[in-house]
Amino acid sequence: MAQHPPPIPQHQERIPFWRDGRVLGVLAQVLFVTMVLLGASWLLNNVSSNIGTLGSFRCPDGTDSFRCGFLFLQIDAQFDIAESVVDYTPSDPYARAIVVGALNTVKVAFFGIILATILGTLTGIARLSRNWLVSNLAKWYVDFFRNTPLLLQLFFIYFGVILLLPNIREAIQPFGLPFYLSQRGINIPGPVFMPSLRVWLLFLLGGAAVAVVVWLLLARRERQVERSLNSTRWSLLAFSVVAAAGWLMANAAISSQAILLSETLPATEFADLPEIVAQRLGGIELAEVETAVAEGRLTRDQVNAAALTICAVRDAPSEANLAAQLRADDAPYVVKRSGRLDQAARAFAAGECELLAAAESDLIASQAALTGIAYRLLPIAEAPLRFSIPRLEGLNFQGGIKLTPSFAALLIGLVLYTGAFIAEIVRAGIQSVPKGQSEAARALGLTESQRLRLVVLPQALRVIIPPLTSQYLNLTKNSSLAIAVGYADLWAISYTTLNQSGRPVQVFIIVMAAYLSFSLLISFLLNQYNRRIALVER
Amino acid sequence: MTTREPTVPITRQRREIHFDGRRIFREHFGRSWWLALWLLLLAYVTLLYTLNQFGQATLTTTAVAVIWLATLSATVYNEMTHAHHPLTLWLKDNLYSSVTNALLTLLLTLLILAAVRGFVDYAIVRASFTTDPDLAKATLAQYEKAGANWGAVIANMRNLMVFRFPRAETWRLTFVVGYLGLMLLASAFVYTQQRLRRSRIRQGLNYLWIITPIVTFALLLGITITPGALQSVLVQTAVLLLLLGALFYASKYLLRRFQHAAVGLALILVWAAAVAGALYLTLENVTFRLNPDVAWGGMLLTMIIAVFAVVASFPLGVMLALGRRSQIRGVPWWLTGLTAGLLTIYLLVNSSLPALASARGLLGSILAFWPLLVLPIAYLFQKNFKGNVVAAFSTIYIESVRGVPLITVLFMSIILFPILLPPRMEILSTWRVMAAAALFAAAYLAENVRGGLQAIPNGQYEAADSIGLNTFQKYRLIILPQAIRIVIPAIVGQFIGLFLDTTLIAIVGLVELLGVANLITAQPNWLGVRREPYIFLMFVYFFGSWLMVTLSRRMESRTDR
Repeated sequence: MAQHPPPIPQHQERIPFWRDGRVLGVLAQVLFVTMVLLGASWLLNNVSSNIGTLGSFRCPDGTDSFRCGFLFLQIDAQFDIAESVVDYTPSDPYARAIVVGALNTVKVAFFGIILATILGTLTGIARLSRNWLVSNLAKWYVDFFRNTPLLLQLFFIYFGVILLLPNIREAIQPFGLPFYLSQRGINIPGPVFMPSLRVWLLFLLGGAAVAVVVWLLLARRERQVERSLNSTRWSLLAFSVVAAAGWLMANAAISSQAILLSETLPATEFADLPEIVAQRLGGIELAEVETAVAEGRLTRDQVNAAALTICAVRDAPSEANLAAQLRADDAPYVVKRSGRLDQAARAFAAGECELLAAAESDLIASQAALTGIAYRLLPIAEAPLRFSIPRLEGLNFQGGIKLTPSFAALLIGLVLYTGAFIAEIVRAGIQSVPKGQSEAARALGLTESQRLRLVVLPQALRVIIPPLTSQYLNLTKNSSLAIAVGYADLWAISYTTLNQSGRPVQVFIIVMAAYLSFSLLISFLLNQYNRRIALVER
Repeated sequence: MTTREPTVPITRQRREIHFDGRRIFREHFGRSWWLALWLLLLAYVTLLYTLNQFGQATLTTTAVAVIWLATLSATVYNEMTHAHHPLTLWLKDNLYSSVTNALLTLLLTLLILAAVRGFVDYAIVRASFTTDPDLAKATLAQYEKAGANWGAVIANMRNLMVFRFPRAETWRLTFVVGYLGLMLLASAFVYTQQRLRRSRIRQGLNYLWIITPIVTFALLLGITITPGALQSVLVQTAVLLLLLGALFYASKYLLRRFQHAAVGLALILVWAAAVAGALYLTLENVTFRLNPDVAWGGMLLTMIIAVFAVVASFPLGVMLALGRRSQIRGVPWWLTGLTAGLLTIYLLVNSSLPALASARGLLGSILAFWPLLVLPIAYLFQKNFKGNVVAAFSTIYIESVRGVPLITVLFMSIILFPILLPPRMEILSTWRVMAAAALFAAAYLAENVRGGLQAIPNGQYEAADSIGLNTFQKYRLIILPQAIRIVIPAIVGQFIGLFLDTTLIAIVGLVELLGVANLITAQPNWLGVRREPYIFLMFVYFFGSWLMVTLSRRMESRTDR
């Protein structure tokens, strides 16, 4: 006989709250938060009693309060920064000094990440080479740089290599190339950015947009007709066309660079300037000036007297542009360099030189220094990038890209160190792709380059990207060791600020926030890329 | 009649040469234009470099070139006749597998030889090993390019190892090193023998390891018994040991009887009180003579900080990892909202009203309303962590500490510790740095342990729940043993990383190994010595890391079952 199951009781017994697990859990958390808050308030109490007398939280009305803590950022910094991406003088506020430091960190992190990735990838691939020597050399490099401290490597590179390089006049040139290694830094040929670069950048962005549109349209058509229409090549061609058009347009954009001429120079356009020099030398062809000096028909003093005198700002692109164009016309010139534009303008106003080379916007801004002087504005053509090669003039190299010893040491150290870690990651990633994939690719008749590009690399990238993210973050954080080699990065400048302004708590908050933002930014960018290449799961 | 077998004259087998010129050309040279171009470039560069090296070191270069040609021809001949000697087979696979590889082998061999020659020249041939600075200067002056001045390192060896540890107290160091050496040897023997697994010897060794940190620290801090109090100290120590031993066995019994996290927490508090009481009672008869800020330096300081950071970060890191993964029921949203609302109102009244009164400009007025930020923070907290406070704190701590550089954390501890503690409390720099290193390492360790916990299949957690284990038992008996075993390689990696990162302490002001090296380069005796201490340090750190990696690999292969 079937038995009915006993009836379910209608009322659940209420568990008393003092042994209800949920209530106890919440109570425990409330207790935890209370203890944390009590501890925090004790710490804050100590902070106020310890530094309340030092005035680091003083408000303008004389009271002390935490909310007035960051007002010190408007005080003048009064310390100089050795190298900076943007303009900076010691009379700028602390806030600007910290921004300069952050930009320096971004500069070293940006180039460091790019170079370390290239070095690491090449080394990782070399590690997997069939050649015993190649793979072992890569292995020794990786093992050595991973198992020695980064700071030690930086000290060795800075104090033991770069500072012991020869004098600037005897700079080393590896293989005879125009790369100069000396005690005062490394000078390499490189592009100099002209102000007309902004125009060209707009064209580049437009070209990129056009290329993307072309690629999308062609890709859709390819899917319809089911054969290749070379969408990538056409889109690259479209980009190149727009970029070339932009280059020509930027070349013709003559309004951003300019030279001031004193009224005494009867020139209406740039081409008149070489003519004036030629006339001063007695109507000789400028191309023959050097041979004339060699043959004795002209003396060097005559040439120097007839040469155009130019006032310019040190390391400014406008001087490089003007000098390059005058050199192209063989016109002799003499340059007087000043540290800042107002000093150069004063020299021009005093009559020390006939030309003043500067960006037009800066010239307009420094009108005050030029009042009362008769001058004319002459625009000069320029290309968005001028490739300049460093040349030794006097005690310095002019032109090219100059890397200070500190920056060079930091960059080389970081790249070598992080490159070793990236090499291991790349090697592990490539080895994680099963051998069967390569064998199947070869069986299908793919060439070696196709096998790598279409089969191995996409699968390897999935394994490589997450640890690569953490290595990029490590590089950004390790760049804080710049303080040991004298490079003015965010941490070095913050430390100076901290010491000078006597506000450690606020400065630490700013520094932590900055580094956390860098980390978040890099993680975010790489996570987006990771998501794109991750396995699409059903 | 015997038949004589026809005598076959024994002739050398003529090897047949298989040479398909067209195929070989196509495979090795003619695959693409890029390959041909690359091979031309490589051949040109190799030729140039070989000629360059001929001019500099004729003998070795000729030898290398001859060996290369000989082995290459032998390998090619064997390849063509399809009859390889094991050596040529290895050469063909590893060094001469393609034209590129053959040329690269020559080029790289010459490069490596040049580098080795340069280093040997610098470090041995033109170097001076004497510890007399004047003699060293004279020796090095006779070379055009001076070699290494190892005398600076050799003369400063004591500085590098223990810096300013007082000479009168060196016996403490000897004792500590001897004691640790014996312990390590004994452990290497006892912990690897299976038959000793449950023996008394192993238990005794465990207890010895527990008191090792106390003994080592006490000795290194210069513990001295006030004269005449020896007897009372001995009596006190004996009594304390008995009491602590009783407490120890009582704890073991209680934990076994009541397996609950609350018992564990209560016992931690009891132990803290007991240790504090013990210290208070014994400290009236002993003094610590050595000041760590002054006495600890060089390699001694490096090892102390590295070992302390790893050991101290272990409990904190495991707790952080467990906290981050905790699934406890969070604070309900109405409680969070209520608290946030009350806090916002309080802050608005206390802080924003006066700020508004003295605000300058629009920006100042807007910034005065900063307490309103509490509300989105509370909302995000509720949404991301479901009100779980423990997980929130653990995650925020871990991500914040991992997002800032170690040097920032070190400077923060040096500068902020005096500010965060009551005005008359002083903490030595060494303690601040050790605390910072431990807190920093704990965050990284927490991530490694979390990875280990995630690697354990969910089935383990479910099985533990299904047989009725509570949380404490589940983690102690099932989860953590497996997680720790997975995580041991990462922990060793962390120790190596910490060992290498102790160099950053040199920037903060404490003088450890790298700090001593910096001081050596500044010594007036050894002016001009810039590279030698760093080169020596590179060898030291590399050897230390290599040692730890090898040991950990051996440990891994043993615990692999």
